[in-house]
Amino acid sequence: MRIGVFVCQCGTNIAGTVDTEAVARRAMEYADVVYATSYVYTCSEPGQQEIQRRIKEMNLQGVVVAACSPRMHEPTFRRAVERAGLNRYMFEMANIREHVSWISTDKEANTRKAMELVHMAVAKLRFNQPLFSSKVPINKRVLIIGAGVAGIQAALDCSDGGLDVVLVEKNPSIGGKMAQLDKTFPTIDCSSCILGPKMVDISQKENVTLHACSEVESVSGYVGNFKVQIRKKATYVNWNACTGCGECVRKCPSRKAPDPFNEHLATARAINIPFPQAIPKKAAINRDYCLHFTKGKCGVCKKICPVNAIDYDMQDELVSEEVGAIIVATGFDLFDHSVYGEYGGGRYPDVISGLQYERILSASGPFGGHIRRPSNGREPRDIVFIACVGSRDASVGRPYCSGVCCMYIAKQAILTRDHLPDSNCYVFYMDIRSPGKNYDEFVRRAQEEYGVQYIRGRVGKIYPRGDRMVVQGADTLLGIQVEVEADLVVLATGVEASAGAGELAEKLRISYDQYGFYMESHPKLRPVETNTAGVFLAGACQGPKDIPASVAQGSAAAAKVQALFARDAIETDPQVALVNERTCVGCLKCIMVCPFGAIQSKTLRDGSIKAEVLASVCQGCGLCNATCPPKAIQLQHATDNQILAELNILCA
Amino acid sequence: MVIGWGTGYDPLHVTPVFLRGLEDVSRLIWNPLCVQNLTGYLVKGALTPPLEEGKKIGICVRGCDSRSLVALIQEKLLSRESLHIFGIPCRGTLDVRRLMNESGLSQIRSVTIQGDHLVVQNDEEAHRFPLERFLARRCLRCRHPNPVIYDELVYQPITPRTAPEDAYRDVEAMEARSLQERHLFWSSELDRCIRCYACRNACPLCICQDRCIAETREPRWLTQRVNLPEKFLYHFIHALHLAGRCTECGECERVCPMEIPVTLIKEKLNQITRDLLHYEAGLDPEALPPLLTYNPNEAGI
Ligand SMILES: Cc1cc2nc3c(=O)[nH]c(=O)nc-3n(C[C@H](O)[C@H](O)[C@H](O)COP(=O)(O)OP(=O)(O)OC[C@H]3O[C@@H](n4cnc5c(N)ncnc54)[C@H](O)[C@@H]3O)c2cc1C
Ligand code: SF4
Ligand code: SF4
Ligand code: SF4
Ligand code: SF4
Repeated sequence: MRIGVFVCQCGTNIAGTVDTEAVARRAMEYADVVYATSYVYTCSEPGQQEIQRRIKEMNLQGVVVAACSPRMHEPTFRRAVERAGLNRYMFEMANIREHVSWISTDKEANTRKAMELVHMAVAKLRFNQPLFSSKVPINKRVLIIGAGVAGIQAALDCSDGGLDVVLVEKNPSIGGKMAQLDKTFPTIDCSSCILGPKMVDISQKENVTLHACSEVESVSGYVGNFKVQIRKKATYVNWNACTGCGECVRKCPSRKAPDPFNEHLATARAINIPFPQAIPKKAAINRDYCLHFTKGKCGVCKKICPVNAIDYDMQDELVSEEVGAIIVATGFDLFDHSVYGEYGGGRYPDVISGLQYERILSASGPFGGHIRRPSNGREPRDIVFIACVGSRDASVGRPYCSGVCCMYIAKQAILTRDHLPDSNCYVFYMDIRSPGKNYDEFVRRAQEEYGVQYIRGRVGKIYPRGDRMVVQGADTLLGIQVEVEADLVVLATGVEASAGAGELAEKLRISYDQYGFYMESHPKLRPVETNTAGVFLAGACQGPKDIPASVAQGSAAAAKVQALFARDAIETDPQVALVNERTCVGCLKCIMVCPFGAIQSKTLRDGSIKAEVLASVCQGCGLCNATCPPKAIQLQHATDNQILAELNILCA
Repeated sequence: MVIGWGTGYDPLHVTPVFLRGLEDVSRLIWNPLCVQNLTGYLVKGALTPPLEEGKKIGICVRGCDSRSLVALIQEKLLSRESLHIFGIPCRGTLDVRRLMNESGLSQIRSVTIQGDHLVVQNDEEAHRFPLERFLARRCLRCRHPNPVIYDELVYQPITPRTAPEDAYRDVEAMEARSLQERHLFWSSELDRCIRCYACRNACPLCICQDRCIAETREPRWLTQRVNLPEKFLYHFIHALHLAGRCTECGECERVCPMEIPVTLIKEKLNQITRDLLHYEAGLDPEALPPLLTYNPNEAGI
């Protein structure tokens, strides 16, 4: 092979602490190197042209550039060598900036290390092979999992772009947490007034198929060609017939069913429509409370339903959908505030979660929008809000900031003072986090215009005194202990990953962090992508987020899908695993470890079993290669031989 | 066909026998000299013809061998349905080589077991040895003398001689030595290795056979050069390929013509597997060896 080496000075970024001339001179001694030079800015236009000129002039078959991290410029140089007629994989990059010049000032040692890195790159390049990508057609339908505001936004944007959308929501209605909110910060507009129209849009779009009360059962396939099984849970009501008139709900004699939409501040009937604006507005039976199922008698709803929609024999149904991309928008759940025993959440009826208070404030909530104490239904006068309950507290395993609580308590305090001008509102906080547009102003308004009393400090204990609650805490600014008697205590319960996030991630083969939030492909540069091609993230499932950010990410995910679908076929990355059939012994251990289901077995004509990689599914993680005993499965462009060649140089 | 043990070229050396009909049954023997783990023949024996649909193959297994079967079944290299397993609770087999070396015997006429003694008759006289004195190392540390799967159990189950917490006492003894001592020990042991690959060939779980990277050199992890680093590398590869899979049957060590204690390396890896991943190979046909799974929530790591 004829190899050319280009050692970049990067101005003085590299040349300042590395003798780039010496590195280039030494490179001429390495096997197969026929040309080596040092250049001031290799990535610049003239720098790239220099590479191309030398490839032609010197008949180079491979190129090494010793410069910065390949993360940024490897694609640049690959394109450059390609323009000069080489295959883009006949190129290697040695990082002598981030790994050398920027981390030490010892020029002699740096130069030595740079030489070794270049030598390793040359040694590897000698084993490089031209690689080619293949094309697979794209199925231009998109699956969106979770229909909170993020999923709804993504669905509408995809639908507007002309894509067929399959929307899967596990609850009976779409809307997510936003549907439960009363007003929204920082503008105090009514949540259901702004969300409602979007929900209605979903139901009216012809290219959106909505599966409510449904969950994803399994996912197979790969970008462009996923196959998804969806379990539609039995609602015992034929939704094709049900008009949502609610007759059944009014007549149902079983009144003690849980009401998750109202955060259990009220009870529901065994047959229920979660809220008036629900989409789809259909009734569903909770069989744990239905007298037909529990006692074997009743049947009131079946008798009353004017369209005969009740079907006690309904079974779960499995539907298959084929899509080319998936957006995950499964949102969040609330931290279980009863973990803080000293606050008595879940034990004292007047110590409630932030979302419960949203329901109390809401006109469609359990008290019709009048602020009342859950214990006795009376109007409270002193209301205490406690920030960071299940946020920024490593002792409960939640060291992160939930991002929305500071803002929502300011909002709730403002609304409280609006509803009950004579009330006193106190907020115990650690710091105030309000870094959004008009957010800090909003918090200030709570403090200055609405007279909400902010007390900086942690609450140590809440206990009942008479029919009121005593909140004991510290005021760290004044350095004193404070005690507030309250009628109602609202805990700003933090945000955590939605229940079942982990299992869904396993099905989708995407990663999640230690708290269950899904991992974006790059925290800054790829915040919407996952590491699984064709699977995107939107909303709070990726990390705590408010509505504007969730909506923005919903649109961003939709844009990513549209960009993916703008082509008719996708080029696969050839840096994937490949089986050498001559050495594969068919033990299929590779299949057992592949996290992406990218390997299948096949039987050759002589009856022998071999592994086979689906190039478009493989993510190039290399687990199969590490597992394969005869090393028959090799990661292209990072083969054992290539890595061994590098190691041999390093250890020589 | 049934695979079992029969008398070999002399009464001290037992050989595998392949019974094809009722008339062969008389060739079958069982005594503490039946040292071979026969399960390897099921996966790599050119001797065992491919099974006809619905037919079974019979195999005699001791406790340790049965764990090899479990491992092979877990990895889908064997199907349980194709086997008829004769399980034999085993009181321990002998280290025949040590017996020969230490007794200096030759010209052996007959061998009998009398209680807990072995009586060897050669041209001159009868020699009596306590069985216990010549038990193989693998048997001295055996925790599973009773087959863990079988269709027929040939004798009554017996009590294991080693408690689980003592299972890795040889490894612990080795680790009690200084780093330098250990280095010296392994250097001199492995330096004797002639890379005959008997250890690999005898291992029922070494399934690559002539695709083994020690010989294909594709990719080129190993070369033909005769030096200590190459020998170390070969043994590391062998051990790592068995990490979490090795059932400690000890065949690799038994067959080594250079008497290198190679099972000890695998025992160390198994000790780690036990402590870190709470897994013991070859016990539960439904379980999966931890290194053959992808589980991001792996406990212990
Ligand atoms: C008390 C409180 C008050 C708030 N007030 C405000 C405010 O005033 N202003 C503001 O900007 N933000 C506010 N927020 C934040 C706001 O609620 C979130 O930003 C928003 O709900 C995030 O939307 P989402 O679609 O990502 O998630 P979610 O609203 O949680 O929606 C996720 C949806 O996915 C569904 N789902 C989950 N798992 C699955 C699954 N496996 N399969 C199918 N479907 C699934 C859920 O049922 C749900 O419908 C508040 C939050 C709280 C807790
Ligand atoms: S692990 Fe290796 S030898 Fe086994 S089937 Fe996969 S590629 Fe073939
Ligand atoms: S590199 Fe191997 S294990 Fe990883 S995704 Fe590709 S085939 Fe699967
Ligand atoms: S490595 Fe040795 S002890 Fe382990 S299973 Fe193979 S032959 Fe038996
Ligand atoms: S059997 Fe012994 S000599 Fe032969 S390769 Fe194995 S360790 Fe080396």
